[in-house]
Amino acid sequence: MKRLERKKQNARVGLNGNGSVHREADCGRKQKLSEIHQALISDPVDIETLRRAAASKGGLLTDELRRKVWPKLLNINVYDLPYKPGRDVRENHKDYNQVLLDVRRSMKRFPKGMPAAERAVLQDQLIDIILEVLKRNPQLHYYQGYHDVAVTFLLVVGERMALAMLDKLSNYHLRDFMDPTMDSTKHILNYLMPILEQVDTELHDFMIRAEVGTIFALSWLITWYGHVLSEFRHTLRLYDFFLASHPLMPIYLAATIVLHREKDVKQTECDMAMVHHLLSRIPQDLPYELLISLSQDLFDQYPPSLLAKRAALQSRKSLSISTFQAFQLSTFHQRPDSVLQRLTKAPGATTSRHGLEAALPQDQVQLWGKGNRMVKMAVWGLSATLGVAVFAVAQTAMDWGPEVLLQLF
Amino acid sequence: MAEGGSSVELSRSLTSSTLPPPRTRIFKIIVIGDSGVGKTCLTYRFCAGKFPEKTEATIGVDFRERLVEIDGEKIKIQLWDTAGQERFRKSMVQHYYRNVHAVVFVYDITNATSFRSLPAWIEECKQHALGTEVPRILVGNKCDLQDSIQVGTDVAQQYADAHSMPLFETSAKNPNSQGDGGCGGGNSDHVEAIFMTVAHKLKSQKPLVLGQLSGGSGGTINLSKGMHDEGDETGSWGCSSC
Repeated sequence: MKRLERKKQNARVGLNGNGSVHREADCGRKQKLSEIHQALISDPVDIETLRRAAASKGGLLTDELRRKVWPKLLNINVYDLPYKPGRDVRENHKDYNQVLLDVRRSMKRFPKGMPAAERAVLQDQLIDIILEVLKRNPQLHYYQGYHDVAVTFLLVVGERMALAMLDKLSNYHLRDFMDPTMDSTKHILNYLMPILEQVDTELHDFMIRAEVGTIFALSWLITWYGHVLSEFRHTLRLYDFFLASHPLMPIYLAATIVLHREKDVKQTECDMAMVHHLLSRIPQDLPYELLISLSQDLFDQYPPSLLAKRAALQSRKSLSISTFQAFQLSTFHQRPDSVLQRLTKAPGATTSRHGLEAALPQDQVQLWGKGNRMVKMAVWGLSATLGVAVFAVAQTAMDWGPEVLLQLF
Repeated sequence: MAEGGSSVELSRSLTSSTLPPPRTRIFKIIVIGDSGVGKTCLTYRFCAGKFPEKTEATIGVDFRERLVEIDGEKIKIQLWDTAGQERFRKSMVQHYYRNVHAVVFVYDITNATSFRSLPAWIEECKQHALGTEVPRILVGNKCDLQDSIQVGTDVAQQYADAHSMPLFETSAKNPNSQGDGGCGGGNSDHVEAIFMTVAHKLKSQKPLVLGQLSGGSGGTINLSKGMHDEGDETGSWGCSSC
């Protein structure tokens, strides 16, 4: 705990520092950008550097970098992405109604001010990619909140890469949540109290007395906080962190958040309802960078294996935890994109080139690249049956792509 | 089950300035039903006094509360809004069935499946030792959508009678947006009345045996009794999660 306190103080000093802090931060950013680029072109890809970059201050900095780094963190070849799901994915799917219901009412996840028509295109894509992953993996089961994870990827990397990422993640980090029942999820939640116990016994005992349980952190865990954060940039920052971390990291962050609010918790009535209510509402102005680094410290200090021993948590097998090492090993032998592009066989133009390039002719890609840097094309959908290309623009900033984008077709 | 009494004691010993004065009784009500029937809307409408603009899927359990006054007594009504998806209720929601004073079953009158699920929900309650002795009410939601009714009032009433529950048909939506007179037309305090009915019912029971008396009161509740002019004190917090 002392170590954590010190860190808190240091962070405060950093915030109150003099004018040079800004320049240093700028310099740090430049250095980070160059490190990430270097790591991406190394052969094999320098995955350790990418992981460190994703977890350290500022995360992956831009969506452009996320589109390059996220697939590497999950060992995905961007030149060999799955095809976009066909219409038939919706037919006779047992989860179709639930997915439809949840996606239809997930308006809050899309950028404010996005025209309804464009949101509708994205929502359709969201339904399709979710159902496609479930169809490819009959052992996986949909849960409410899965759509909050899916939408985050869709908005940043587009339909086909989101599909690939979601497929991979569902088999590893999210695997426990996708069992037929939520018993494994409950098991993961059970790590929360032992972490608290290690750091702040008084707080732990208070919460035990209140019988608050851990359901207040359920949506944090299974949506990687996507369901509870209103600022998309915060969600992205956490996704950078989690994609580069152990599957239990969201629980360590949950513990960090509870510890961060320790005073509020102890001051509240020692009653299940009161404590649940207080904790389930995440303050929107949390110091995310600080909390991320504290979570990492907690993880290093009290790794899952240690907690499992102390808290008799081994009784149940977690697939996410048991497969993590193999998953991590698999990410160490990736070739850089330039090599992948050469190596990956290209049956057709749209599969050999990925993302933006796949959807647009080359000159238009450049036009986009040179345009307003704030306008980030994240998503496009091609409706081949109509012979019309429709694409929607999503971005994490508040501004909107000009209408002129639609005239490209 | 006399949790009302003991939690008051607890709150008295740990009271802080933001809490209501001592002796405030707490009525804990759990709201259950299929996904998408409008549980979040109903509870939000009662606690915040307005229809939420957007509601999302509830993941796990949400909590809302409101302080009301009934016959001069201040009472805290706690609503536990639960996730509708089956997997959540199987292993996550159980914790919240404990010490519940009343149960509100919700179905969507435009969705026959949600009505057909009611026996399963009632069974769920039984498994958590919440039988007919705990006051239960049945709410048919979304009756502003008169054009797409799939569950008729007569069928619902029969079912409610068979299970000794009062039936309400309502819309958690702003009544101003409703079309014809319909079941909830024009009654802006309809949602209010539902929860206040439960609160009255609970209050009329002796405090020490709260939640243990027979709740067998068939028939549809008459909403024009003027029972809802007490609840002016909208809780200042608790309804922002929608």
